Amino acid sequence: MANQSGHIYGLTILSPILESNRLDICHATELRWYLASLPRNHTSPFAQVSSTHFARLVVMDDVVFVGAPAREEHLKSRYLVFETNFDGDLNRYLTRMAVEIPELVNSVWKHCVGYPGLADPNAFIAYMKKCQIETTFFFADVNDKTVQQNLKALQVQSALSRFVERNQGKPASEVQKSFGVLLKRLAEAPDPLPGGIDSEKTAAEDRPYDR
Amino acid sequence: MTDSTRLDVTDIQGFVLKGYNFPYARYLFLELLHARDAQIFIGQVLQYLTTGERWDKKPITTVNIAFTHRGLLSLELPEPTLLSFPVEFQQGMRARGDILYDTGKNSPEHWDPIWRENRVHVWLAVNAQTSAALDHQCNVLLQMMDQTRGAKLLQPQDASAVFIDGKPTSKEHFGYTDGFGNPDFKGAERNCVPGQGKLTMDGNWEALATGEFLLGYADESGELPVAPIPHLLARNGTFMVYRKMHQNVATFRNFLEEQGRVYPGGKEKLASKFVGRWRDGTPAEISPDHPDPAVVADNDRNTNFTYGNDLNGLHCPLGAHIRRGNPRDAFGFNGELVNRRRIMRRGLPYGAYVPEGLPVRDEDEHGIIFMALNASLFRQFEFVQQQWIEYGNDLHQGNDKDLVIGNHGGQGKCVLQGTADPQNPPFLCANLPNFVQLRGGDYFFVPSLTALQMMASGTVDPR
Repeated sequence: MANQSGHIYGLTILSPILESNRLDICHATELRWYLASLPRNHTSPFAQVSSTHFARLVVMDDVVFVGAPAREEHLKSRYLVFETNFDGDLNRYLTRMAVEIPELVNSVWKHCVGYPGLADPNAFIAYMKKCQIETTFFFADVNDKTVQQNLKALQVQSALSRFVERNQGKPASEVQKSFGVLLKRLAEAPDPLPGGIDSEKTAAEDRPYDR
Repeated sequence: MTDSTRLDVTDIQGFVLKGYNFPYARYLFLELLHARDAQIFIGQVLQYLTTGERWDKKPITTVNIAFTHRGLLSLELPEPTLLSFPVEFQQGMRARGDILYDTGKNSPEHWDPIWRENRVHVWLAVNAQTSAALDHQCNVLLQMMDQTRGAKLLQPQDASAVFIDGKPTSKEHFGYTDGFGNPDFKGAERNCVPGQGKLTMDGNWEALATGEFLLGYADESGELPVAPIPHLLARNGTFMVYRKMHQNVATFRNFLEEQGRVYPGGKEKLASKFVGRWRDGTPAEISPDHPDPAVVADNDRNTNFTYGNDLNGLHCPLGAHIRRGNPRDAFGFNGELVNRRRIMRRGLPYGAYVPEGLPVRDEDEHGIIFMALNASLFRQFEFVQQQWIEYGNDLHQGNDKDLVIGNHGGQGKCVLQGTADPQNPPFLCANLPNFVQLRGGDYFFVPSLTALQMMASGTVDPR
């Protein structure tokens, strides 16, 4: 199934954006401004939906005519493009969006045609599925590991390289002893928080190897 | 039928077509004065200019010239022409600092004054067989400046081969033999050397498209490189980046000494892992366990290797200097991903060479003048510098930078891959300092002789 790469789901949504001549600012413009104001680090709303590998929201005005011999074509409307890669099931992910980041969902999709609101999560899920198109291509680095597995792996990699840096060249018995300490600390370390192990938020508590 | 790629070598500056391999050089950095006088000066320089013509006998000196965008502005080239140059050249190297990671210790506040002040208009280069000939040729040019009042000298930069036992060598200050190979391109006089062009499907090497290195010819995508108008101004010209790279010789030698004591393969093997060549020049890919003078001496072998059978970096580490600069087939697709990212290197060390074992200081004036030629500074030099030297993702090395020339700022890390063999273990270098620090430089346009004649006569006509 093209929407799935291993256990990773690739969701692609095209939601038509409302047109109105009566507004001072058109929906597409207002939406662009809103999207530009969203944080992109560990405070991003999508960091809260913790199964998100990455998410991208963009306003697409039209297809660009690149000149002959290309054919000049136009879209019927402007679209919001929403792409996200996440772990697990589509219904569950959309439900999490509705429940965990309702403010973002409302602020974005209120500019879109036919958005039913979040009062009925099933109506929201049905709406999103209606806007869904098939994902045919995944980002090259998608590796079929969950977000948590990836974060943990990065944590281990970072800890291990510091370990090597501090211990290479030392006698084997000493290295082995230190390695035992490292393993214990890693086992006790809290899971890294979504948004990256180097973010300020997680820096202090998630770097057991620094203590 | 004539060969469409045969080049008019008498119209191309010799510096573009070949590395001169002279022991002495002086780069005169000039400010152009009144445009009319500057034109006359350029007209006079032309009679001394060294072209790509084949030498029956090596001359005593060579002369070449190139211009920054400010220089062309000062020459009062027509505005439509000035505006038609690629944006990165118009901006100049200093303005591209964020793209190139010329930040922190490499930022302009640490540069030599002439580069900080953005005053350089012209690079006037003299290469010479002897230091007396160098002085003489430079004096002739300086007199021309005085007579025409077209230009004034801001500062000379001397460079010279490292002399050992009275003989010029290809060594640089860290002790490596440098300057192996440059990309071959179609139309250049010499035959394609194995390892120096692009890989063919059957594993041979052939010359790259001319347009990767010269303006006015098709490049590897079959298009003409972005070039100024009129076509006649651009054709047979190219772009050059000039970077003065100070070498912290004491820091490097101490680091190699200390780490060499920890690394089980020993100091020299460690040095080979940093660069991908042993210090005598032997490619680590061909001979990972010991230097091999026979390989170094053999031009059919010293650049003739690929990384396809070493994707884990066991011979040549994935982040070794020469593997970063030219990854060959390391990214798969038979090497096609690197064919549009090649640069032609020129350059010489500057400053007094201190032999290993003698006291040496970081702050003494020594380093390397790095010059690279390419049709697109943006697509070739800037890409290599940003993605492959100052970053590691394409090489599966995360954020790690080039160990030798990366802008580490004390935070650098580098992984040298290894095996279970006790002599070839994996090794990690951490808390890397800057072994090399940028002292300035800029982007230059290297015009053809035709273009220089047009510039000298004020007949550059963009219409």
